[in-house]
Amino acid sequence: MGEFKVHRVRFFDYMPSGIRALAFNGDTERMAVARMDGSVEIFHCSDRFFQEKIIPGREQCGIEGLSWVGERLFSAGLNGGITEYDLTNQKVKYTIDAYKIPWYTFLVGCEDGTVKLFEVNEDKIQFERNLDRQKSRIVSLSWHTSGSKIAAGMMDMIQIFNVETGHSIHRMLADRGVGTSRSKECVVWSVVYLSDGTIVSGDSVGMVKLWDDQTGTLIKSHNVTKCDVLALSVSQNEDSLVAGTSEGTVVQFQFVSMVLGKDDKEWVRTRTFKNHTHDIRAVAEITTAVVSGGMDAQLVVKPLLDKIEVRSAASALRKIHFPHRRLVFCARNSGLMLFQYPGHLELWRLGESEGKGSSLFVKRNPEKLLHLKVKGEDHIRCSAVSPCGEWIVYSTASSLRLYRLHYQRFLFLFFQISKLPKVLSSANQLCFSSDSSHLFSASTQSSVHIVSLSQSGCKFVGTLKPKSGSHQAIHLLAASEDGEWLASANSDHEVHIYNLQTRKAHCTVPVYSSAVTAMGIHPTTNCLFMMYADQQMCEYSIEQKQYTDWSRTVQRKGLHRLWMERDTPCLNVMFNPQNPSHVILHDTYMLCIIDQSLPLPDDKTQFYNQLTLKSLTEDQRKSHSHAFKVCKTFKDILCVELISDQSLVVVERPLEDVATQLPAPIKQKKFAT
Amino acid sequence: MCVLPFKETDKMSELTETQIESSDDELPEEVAFDASKSAALKSVKDALEAAKREKILLKEKRKKRQQLFQEQKKRKRLPQELLEEFDKEPQKQTGPSDNKCINKKVSTKPSDINKDKTKTGNMPKRISKSLPDSYTVMRIKDESAAKSLQQKAMDFIQSRLYGPGTKRTTNAELLSLKKKRGASKGAAVEFVNKKLGASQKARIARSNKRFIRQQKLIPF
Repeated sequence: MGEFKVHRVRFFDYMPSGIRALAFNGDTERMAVARMDGSVEIFHCSDRFFQEKIIPGREQCGIEGLSWVGERLFSAGLNGGITEYDLTNQKVKYTIDAYKIPWYTFLVGCEDGTVKLFEVNEDKIQFERNLDRQKSRIVSLSWHTSGSKIAAGMMDMIQIFNVETGHSIHRMLADRGVGTSRSKECVVWSVVYLSDGTIVSGDSVGMVKLWDDQTGTLIKSHNVTKCDVLALSVSQNEDSLVAGTSEGTVVQFQFVSMVLGKDDKEWVRTRTFKNHTHDIRAVAEITTAVVSGGMDAQLVVKPLLDKIEVRSAASALRKIHFPHRRLVFCARNSGLMLFQYPGHLELWRLGESEGKGSSLFVKRNPEKLLHLKVKGEDHIRCSAVSPCGEWIVYSTASSLRLYRLHYQRFLFLFFQISKLPKVLSSANQLCFSSDSSHLFSASTQSSVHIVSLSQSGCKFVGTLKPKSGSHQAIHLLAASEDGEWLASANSDHEVHIYNLQTRKAHCTVPVYSSAVTAMGIHPTTNCLFMMYADQQMCEYSIEQKQYTDWSRTVQRKGLHRLWMERDTPCLNVMFNPQNPSHVILHDTYMLCIIDQSLPLPDDKTQFYNQLTLKSLTEDQRKSHSHAFKVCKTFKDILCVELISDQSLVVVERPLEDVATQLPAPIKQKKFAT
Repeated sequence: MCVLPFKETDKMSELTETQIESSDDELPEEVAFDASKSAALKSVKDALEAAKREKILLKEKRKKRQQLFQEQKKRKRLPQELLEEFDKEPQKQTGPSDNKCINKKVSTKPSDINKDKTKTGNMPKRISKSLPDSYTVMRIKDESAAKSLQQKAMDFIQSRLYGPGTKRTTNAELLSLKKKRGASKGAAVEFVNKKLGASQKARIARSNKRFIRQQKLIPF
């Protein structure tokens, strides 16, 4: 297989942001996730929860609520604005400044006690009216399915409003609890209004209470935890309810009858899931699973096994820690690395080592060359560094900046290219050509702008437009080594290949049901290698405009079960110039080299056979080895790159390091500690 | 009217004492009604006067304090000339920097600004002689009102979830407990603060480099 010198990098201090709100769109099977830094991510629930779209946030922006209205996505923040998102171009469409009053729940409840109604129009939303003003702050809200009543969770009580008149119908007082919590007000963190008139509330005392809206009285109360119940969610057909607590547990209640066969149903506590370490701020129930997210910044998908018939990859617990986009870029020819943080970029030079063995002595430490802060409040959407290491570019939702740098021993020159062509206002994805002479910028309507780079600056060369197809934003770009071809993949699963000499569309790869997570063009054969979110792979020959024979063999034979059961997507595809039949891939927990000259494994062969092969003799090895060589030495991998001196760079972000900077968790008393 | 029993009894005892001194059998001396009346009135007057004096003293104290505060405030304010500049009507000055105004927030006293009715949100057009062309004057009060509600909301959430009364522990404790109860038991976790002694470490690294260079241990 080969020996590589590996630079094991752990100085990328990437901190994911905590999850604040979840919203599930049942029609399109998409889950919208809002984070504490204001960014919104869309996950495709039936495509292995691949992170399709990311809308970056801004400084000092917090989202408190998220909601789908048909296919449109709205959010409300503490800064007093309601924002609608443009999901095609992955950015904010507009923000209404709702009279500078902060919101707790989307579209309605306010800090000062008013409940505001908004009307959703064709292209905008409009303030309609206020309901009766209350003295205490409104913390949570829920509509009745008929649209005529609203339940509002406030301090120490729950109120039911009649939407027509705006008056309050009932006032239900929540208990304050015993002991020391008697002196503090009870905050009703979330309410859910069911269609049969039952109101479910979760409060800061740790109780899930069921109320009757006709009489305004308490039906039943369940003590779920000692700390707060922060989130509630009910399933589509209202037979299951999930509650998320501050301790990190998710409790499920189901509407079943206590005696089999009888008709009298009631809400019974059934399951408890303990998959989080920190507070859970949002839960949602999709058709077959419970999705929860909180301050530990991981999205956990727990499938409900009574809803699943076949044991497959979809029935396993899934934890999503890192974004499904590249945050680390390498200048292959100069050993420089670019780290993309939300608010700044860092450029590092890799260290040097000497000696032999499994762990080499570090002769020169890696050093940070550049810390580039973003101008303005928007977060960085994408960035790139050229292979020669002389150009750096980044783009936010509103601007794009290009920098030239020159680094040689003790000389470091760095300046911004101020005169940029007007088309380069913002980009969804950025890519440099392999000889660093051109910059490709993916912009609206799935088009790609080409800009040439030289000593004198940059000049607009042309735009590549797809022949037909959708206007969804491009999330992947790949340029060929010889500078002739460019491939782009967008959120509608379309992959277009362009001829850079003629600047016209060359061909389109047949659309596959799953999204492309990584792609790369082979330096010699000019074949486009693609990895999909469902762990399938395929190879498409650009010159011949068809799948290669190897790809067809893979499709026919199928991939090994263990390969298909991996739950994190491959984020990078690389090729080894010294070994043209090798393809290097990685996902969060493994690094794999696929040797296209070796036979493919079938389901009966041992998949992870690297250690076994070591113990065999040369001849035996030849007969036993198969194409997939997997290395599991590295964990929590964010990026793997092959640089020009035949060494690998593996960027790891250990989850324990992430845990050091999370907010404080609740103290839990465990047995025997 | 306050009655001061002690003084009266003193007077009475004085009177009775004189009586005792003279003789036990004799009739008690006639104490004139007027004398005792005047004594009582005098004592009342004294009390009132004392109260008045105290009031006056307090008033003076308050006055002095107020003056002190005024002076301190004056010291904090910008020089009177600058304030007058801001109050003046805009002068017509055609300059290239008219359109490129950088808003500089000058923190003047709100009370002064309130008196001047021309202070509205349309500040950026004001140009004055002493300020450089690119400076403008803006009220902070308008901006802070909006932010305060947001801040209140954020503080409320922060205090309810992380404030006093919540039972929170540290991430180090969480990881330590995990290790303690895990399949392979390990020691407790304590996070290293990399920033501790950073300057000393940097100084040591620099001096090491200098030493190595001096001794020519590594070919340059």
